Amino acid sequence: MKHYLIIQLARFGDLVQTKRLIATLCAREKSTVHLCVDTSLAALAQLVYPDITVHSIAAHGTGLSASEAIKAMLVDNRRAFAELTSIDFETIYNLNFSPLNFRLAALFDPDQIEGYAWHNGQEIIGLWPSMAMRWSNYRRISINLVDFWAGYCPDMIAPELVNPVATPKRGGIGVVLAGRESRRSLPVDVLSQVTKTVASSKKAEKIYLLGGNAEHAAGQALIKQLSPAIQQKTENLAGKTNWSDLVDIVGSLDTLLTPDTGTMHLAAHLGTPVSAFFLSSAWCFETGPYGEGHTVYQAITDCLPCLETQECMYDVKCLGGFTDPKFQRFLVTGKPEHAPENMIAFASGLDELGQIYTPIAGIDPDAAQREKFREFIWQYLSGKGGNVSDLDTVFAQKVYHERDWITHGKPRLTIGI
Amino acid sequence: MKNLRILVVLPFYGGSLPIGRYVASALRAEGHLVEVFEAPEFNAAYDSLKDLKVTTDRFAYLQNSFLNVVSQAVLAKVETFEPDLVFAMAQAPLNHQALKRLRRDGVTTAMWFVEDYRLFTYWKAFAQFYDIFAVIQKEPFMSELAAVGQPNAVYLPLAAQPDFHKPLELTPVEQRKFGSDVSFMGAGYPNRRMAFRDLINHDFKIWGNEWDGDHVLKPLVQMKGARVSSEDCVKIFNATKINLNLHSSIQADELVTFGDFVNPRTFELAACGAFQLVDKRTLLNESFADDELATFNSIDELREKIDYFIANPDERTSFAEKSQARVLADHTYQARMQTLLEFTEQRIEGWPKAKTESGFMADYPPELATEIRQLLGKLSLPEDVSFEDLVWAVRQQQGKLSELDTSILFLDEWQKLYAKRT
Repeated sequence: MKHYLIIQLARFGDLVQTKRLIATLCAREKSTVHLCVDTSLAALAQLVYPDITVHSIAAHGTGLSASEAIKAMLVDNRRAFAELTSIDFETIYNLNFSPLNFRLAALFDPDQIEGYAWHNGQEIIGLWPSMAMRWSNYRRISINLVDFWAGYCPDMIAPELVNPVATPKRGGIGVVLAGRESRRSLPVDVLSQVTKTVASSKKAEKIYLLGGNAEHAAGQALIKQLSPAIQQKTENLAGKTNWSDLVDIVGSLDTLLTPDTGTMHLAAHLGTPVSAFFLSSAWCFETGPYGEGHTVYQAITDCLPCLETQECMYDVKCLGGFTDPKFQRFLVTGKPEHAPENMIAFASGLDELGQIYTPIAGIDPDAAQREKFREFIWQYLSGKGGNVSDLDTVFAQKVYHERDWITHGKPRLTIGI
Repeated sequence: MKNLRILVVLPFYGGSLPIGRYVASALRAEGHLVEVFEAPEFNAAYDSLKDLKVTTDRFAYLQNSFLNVVSQAVLAKVETFEPDLVFAMAQAPLNHQALKRLRRDGVTTAMWFVEDYRLFTYWKAFAQFYDIFAVIQKEPFMSELAAVGQPNAVYLPLAAQPDFHKPLELTPVEQRKFGSDVSFMGAGYPNRRMAFRDLINHDFKIWGNEWDGDHVLKPLVQMKGARVSSEDCVKIFNATKINLNLHSSIQADELVTFGDFVNPRTFELAACGAFQLVDKRTLLNESFADDELATFNSIDELREKIDYFIANPDERTSFAEKSQARVLADHTYQARMQTLLEFTEQRIEGWPKAKTESGFMADYPPELATEIRQLLGKLSLPEDVSFEDLVWAVRQQQGKLSELDTSILFLDEWQKLYAKRT
């Protein structure tokens, strides 16, 4: 029996997006897969991945005072660390570029670690994540995070085996009120318009507003803006669902209207069709819903994708496509000529490498370059392909650095024989 | 003064390298958190540049670039470790640019220039870039340092490391190998070569390198003139009846030069409880009284005293015991570091900077008390260590870390991410 450990200390969405990597390791013969997550996500992790062993540690900043944190880190975490070190792991996949992940790696031999390792007090970034950091300057042509994490394994499972093809489940419409980063979410008045339009066009029997405690008030405000008929069908569940409830509800929906959120990834995991609104720093080619059968409305102004941490200098002009009255009509007809400017509607699909999005409406100016980049990455990961394009040299110079092959790039050395 | 963070920057190689290691050890023993920049690990790569067979301008460019990288590595370590003091040994790889950067960033720097300033004149180029400049000579060096813009020079003679330079119980085999009536351990400088020709009739062993080409002394040179490890030096000192200690000179006109500084061998021999005959130095009386060391003023006197002390073992023992007691009392590297740090505190206003350290050690969960105390013991840390220093000491460890070690590092980063933000 070979034990594999994945350390995923990020958030809800990241946990679900680790699926292809987890599924790949589960598919190996005689393997047992372990997942280390923040305590707040342990129950969800077990719901989403019932066949793996979940280890929880205190890693997130919420809900702990400084003195509680000392106890949580030195007593509870230490117990969890002891549990981890008692297992003879074949490989540890340490996924997050965070000081916490580097410190946690100190428990293990750096040669066993993929991703972020610790060598005698020095933080070490593996080759594959180093490459990803380099191509992060070219986010418009980037690959999906699900595929990136799976890329740690040369035997990653086919992308169509990750999530079911999305199909309506006849349980109504779900509306996710907001994501963690507010600029990436539609304002309440825009979202209420979208909800009205979709609920009417789909003749929805039930509408669920989803979110955490923080979004409950926004849910109430949204309900006020709906017509009385739709109000009657609408239930504000923000702050009222536990993980199990959320899985049940999302898994029963016809469609989920959402910004880039963990709930969106959960819907994709469950095969529930997603209509996702991507703007600001959210870029569907990086973190769009995984699998076939989803629709993404991607804002496409020239300043995108931006960084959430940087102030917007352009008055969030990427929201323009969503506030354009044409957008409501386009939601109903889906006809390209009805699409607003500065937006592309994409249908999700798959290729050999993984997640792709094909325009339904609008022109994707980066498509040709992105396709070449995907070929370049696919060749790197699989050794297949080989039609060298003009762009390959450019990509190679950007993504490979001299030290990758001049020196041994611990903890992972993929280039070479 | 306790609990300072000190980065000791070693040279690539040379005589100041072992002294740098003694310094690091002494500072740790004084309760400071010490990080060492291991320049010797870069030396092989630097040396390999010499085999390139490239044009001289390219070669110089590559050497400068390499040294720049090493200097940058020191700066990076300073940035992470945030030391109270960067303590550089002579020949430490810190270029002007790096020293200027440290000064700009308000990092206090000191150099211990354990060299003869008359021979190693490069001090004129960089002494002013250090905040503190410790030297093994006095006037006129001090005045010259002031003239080049270094007002904080301090006389800091060499010393011994008592947990290393100590009396040893040698095996019969070691006694045979390393022992003799008379020995000399050191490099074959011209004055020594000339002086020792008069001693070949004794049971005399010469240890060390750079003795090539001397047919008279060749039969006496041990291990074919190979470099002798510091450990073997201590065995030689212990195994020898009369250890000769003739300070080096690059000329052979005057064999006893009556120079100023006292070499490290003087202190090391004394700390070993070994008997030595040392040539008179102008600064010797600053460190030892007349009845603590047997000295000579000429080679004739050296010959006479060898004969005398061979015949009088009790007198040898008396000198050895007195010199040993004196070194242990006054001339250890720990004592030197105390002097240096006190001098730095007097001269650098506001040094060391007050720290805003967490009082974690009072807050740790009581069930961990025993284990944390054991960890402090293992890391040689005091019970009142700050959390920041504990984290750094844990980080200094090699290989995989324990669950408790990792928990402490994890807590530190968690606090940086979350707790301190609020």
